[in-house]
Amino acid sequence: MFVYLLTDIFFYLIIISLLIYILYVRRTPDMLRTWSYVFKNKTGIISIVVLSFFMLIAFFDSIHVKKKILNNDTNQFIYSNDIQSLLDIILLPTYENFEKSYSSPFSSKLYSKETIKLKDGSEKRIYPGLAYKGNHNKYSKNISANLVITAILSLVKSFIIFLFFYLIIFYRTLYERKNNIFYNFKNNNILCITFYILLFIFLLLYDLSTQYYVLGTDKVGVDVLYKSIKSIRTGILIGTLTTIVMLPFAIFLGIFAGFIGGIVDDIIQYIYTTLNSIPSVLLIASAILILQVHMANNPLNFENIYERADLRLFFLCMILGLTSWTGLCRLLRGESMKLREVEFVQASQTFGLNKFSIIIRHIIPNIMHIVIITVVLDFSALVLAEAVLSYVNIGVDPTTYSWGNMINDARLEMSREPVVWWSLFSAFLFMFILVLFANLFADVVRDAFDPRASKKYE
Amino acid sequence: MNNILKVNNLCLSINSNNKEEEILKNINFEINKSEVVSLIGESGSGKSLTALSIIRLLEKSCCIKKGEIIFTNKNILKIQEKEMREIRKNDISMIFQEPMRSLNPIMNIYSQIKESFVNKINKNLTEKILNLLVSVGIHDAERVINLYPHQLSGGMKQRIMIAMAIACKPKLLIADEPTTSLDVTIQKQVLDLLLELKEKLNMSILFITHDLAVASQISDRIIVMKDGKIIENSLSKNFFTSPENSYSKELLKSSVYKRNINNSINYNSNNILDVTNLKVYYKEKESFLLNKYIYTKAVDGINISIKPGMTHAIIGESGSGKTTIAKAIMGLTSITAGKIKILNKDISELNSSKKRDFRKNYQMIFQDPFSSLNPRMRIGAIIKEGLCFLKPEINNHDVNLILNDVIKNVGLKYDSLYKYPHEFSGGQRQRIAIARVLVLNPKLLICDEPTSSLDVTVQEQVLDLLSNIQNKRNISYLFISHDIKLISNISDTISIMNKGKIVESGKTSDIINKPENEYTQKLLNSVPEINRIL
Repeated sequence: MFVYLLTDIFFYLIIISLLIYILYVRRTPDMLRTWSYVFKNKTGIISIVVLSFFMLIAFFDSIHVKKKILNNDTNQFIYSNDIQSLLDIILLPTYENFEKSYSSPFSSKLYSKETIKLKDGSEKRIYPGLAYKGNHNKYSKNISANLVITAILSLVKSFIIFLFFYLIIFYRTLYERKNNIFYNFKNNNILCITFYILLFIFLLLYDLSTQYYVLGTDKVGVDVLYKSIKSIRTGILIGTLTTIVMLPFAIFLGIFAGFIGGIVDDIIQYIYTTLNSIPSVLLIASAILILQVHMANNPLNFENIYERADLRLFFLCMILGLTSWTGLCRLLRGESMKLREVEFVQASQTFGLNKFSIIIRHIIPNIMHIVIITVVLDFSALVLAEAVLSYVNIGVDPTTYSWGNMINDARLEMSREPVVWWSLFSAFLFMFILVLFANLFADVVRDAFDPRASKKYE
Repeated sequence: MNNILKVNNLCLSINSNNKEEEILKNINFEINKSEVVSLIGESGSGKSLTALSIIRLLEKSCCIKKGEIIFTNKNILKIQEKEMREIRKNDISMIFQEPMRSLNPIMNIYSQIKESFVNKINKNLTEKILNLLVSVGIHDAERVINLYPHQLSGGMKQRIMIAMAIACKPKLLIADEPTTSLDVTIQKQVLDLLLELKEKLNMSILFITHDLAVASQISDRIIVMKDGKIIENSLSKNFFTSPENSYSKELLKSSVYKRNINNSINYNSNNILDVTNLKVYYKEKESFLLNKYIYTKAVDGINISIKPGMTHAIIGESGSGKTTIAKAIMGLTSITAGKIKILNKDISELNSSKKRDFRKNYQMIFQDPFSSLNPRMRIGAIIKEGLCFLKPEINNHDVNLILNDVIKNVGLKYDSLYKYPHEFSGGQRQRIAIARVLVLNPKLLICDEPTSSLDVTVQEQVLDLLSNIQNKRNISYLFISHDIKLISNISDTISIMNKGKIVESGKTSDIINKPENEYTQKLLNSVPEINRIL
């Protein structure tokens, strides 16, 4: 049975609006030209492929199902209380079993010594072997030989899959529909190579995960790689959902303040200056506390732990959105003040258009480039903000997988000797990749949309 | 050797999109000692790039392909940057078009001018600067020296720029449209100053302009450029009496635009526009606490009346309040007092829905065709906008017919309807702006400097279009302009404005030939005329 969590629904909405935007762009020639700059740019196309890979993972992680199980007592099918996502089902081999405690990457033993009773009754302190992985070298006894064989096999596998996709998608765009926007792309090779590399990494990690804990295990023996991948959804949701919350405030208040001016401008300016002067951490902390008290008082409203965690994530997005619209609002206010005096706006005033139609027809299309630049730039800042907030315990629910929580957990283990570094490292690695490519993408988008930036088409 | 600068076979290209575009093609000319040479051409003809390559301030994307520029026996293109700096410091100076942008707003005049004296003996620097300011015609130099650029008027700023340029007594002064952004009276002063300084310092001037009349006032020799080529290079007197090239002839012809006079004006009919005692004051609070206001009188008691089919022109320098009148009539700014009657209806008495209906009778064309069209809308949608809002009863089929008709009327192709504004040139955009108001069939059209940002030949085409429309549809025009020369040829009646007031008004021929007011006389005297008798 499909289960729709609150954030899932919003994530679907984001995907749908993204698709609508793509359709809109394809029908508007000048927008198409601007975006094709992004696609033709090497950095642009690489970051688009990487980011869509992340998006895809987050999307699979947002389709939740409940399993049907047979109740042995009544002999009826009932739904389990456990909610799984599509990603969980795909990644089943990585997390179906738990180890006892920490183990380092690619290790076959636990990280700490334990006293084991041997068969002859004597006791010995040794590093116990892992119960499920690390000892099952699939292809060869030698671990390095095994790694090489796995790599080569995934290379071949990914090449076959890649070829399949290539023939279907790229053949169509390259040879059959010559007027397609993909046609004649100089960087088609780059697109393909990036796609191929990502596919290879995915298959390699998948294959390795059936044999080893690639990034080790955490305190309760859960695969860290699995945790990191599950955190992608949280990061992306915070980055996108917050923007969705923020946009209406920023756009409408900004335009009203700039275009109508007078007392409306004064009031809106007053609101955002006040909001800006309150430390946002304070606001977020208090909002999360209120929510926690509410949840503690009404436990019956929540069917299970997932819903509670989900509501907290949603609430965090809301409150982050409410505190972060002021910057964009100020930018848009300035821009619409400028546009108000531009002659084409005055010309439509002489036609007697009312203010609302002028805003819709003339102002909004001419400020969209600022909105897009800001949204893409803010995305990475928000992903990082989540990590910081979770670190100080006012972020997402502790049961939610997130990079901030991983860092928070790893913090305590940094002082132990020998140090447990992999938890922190993998959170860092995944966050770094996402934020890096989001920033690169933002750079290219800004180049494409900023009228003052020097552009090199082709 | 008499020549100070010699340009031989200069070819220049701009690299963009990995494509080379040839901008200058085989430029050859020379400038003699203490000679004023004018470089004339329309925008994009490469005249500024020629000047910039002489002083070697080209952008990185520009690349000089071949040729040499010889300045006092040195090839400027071959020498080191360090040596070039010495030349810029001592021998070649340049004045730019926009005095507002050429001065650093956070430095006072003293420190700005001091920069030109860098690395020279700094004795008596203040005295030297004061002398310099006096020599460019600033008499209260002691006061000006401590002011900042925003406290000075445009003409004063241009004088400061000239003072900086001549500080080192250059052999060659390059002036890139130094008077284009100035009012006519100030333009005359600056031109006179340049001529006077030329005599005094014995320097040569390379004067870049698009205005033939200005060039005729100042120059000894005229060079006409078109599409990166020099097409005529002759002495001033020969050029204005008998130009050789056909393009030069066309330029000369368009600079003295003449309209086909419309004789069908019925002076007894009712006025189309009646403005009585119009006042527009802007109020500013004097202080934060007190309830006192300062009033800026943008328009102060104006009377205008226009008959059907007539062209009335309002002429004034910048800041005289002429655009405010247009905005007040169109309802873009609120009026303090007075009545505006259009077709005998007081528009302030109409309620908002009736006013919206009534708007189709009077429309406006804006000054800058580059900002008056929404860059994100197709031409068809732009033209349709007013029609759909003011005449909602017309159905789609008729709208398309009207669009096709009007686009043909303004001389554009049918497929322009599906293009975006950036695909058109300035003149074509102004045609689109005209088409946008024409679809409404207005009785009165307010034209706020419709040609001032266009090249002369394009200007002529747009004015032709406007006068054809007037003859066909009997529209009245209210022209607003700073260009008395142009306006005297196209208008029937004229009002001269100064500081928010009309100082003189009447029939165009009367005012041009026998101006009574002192200000009008001054204005008329400052207008550069092409002197054919030379």
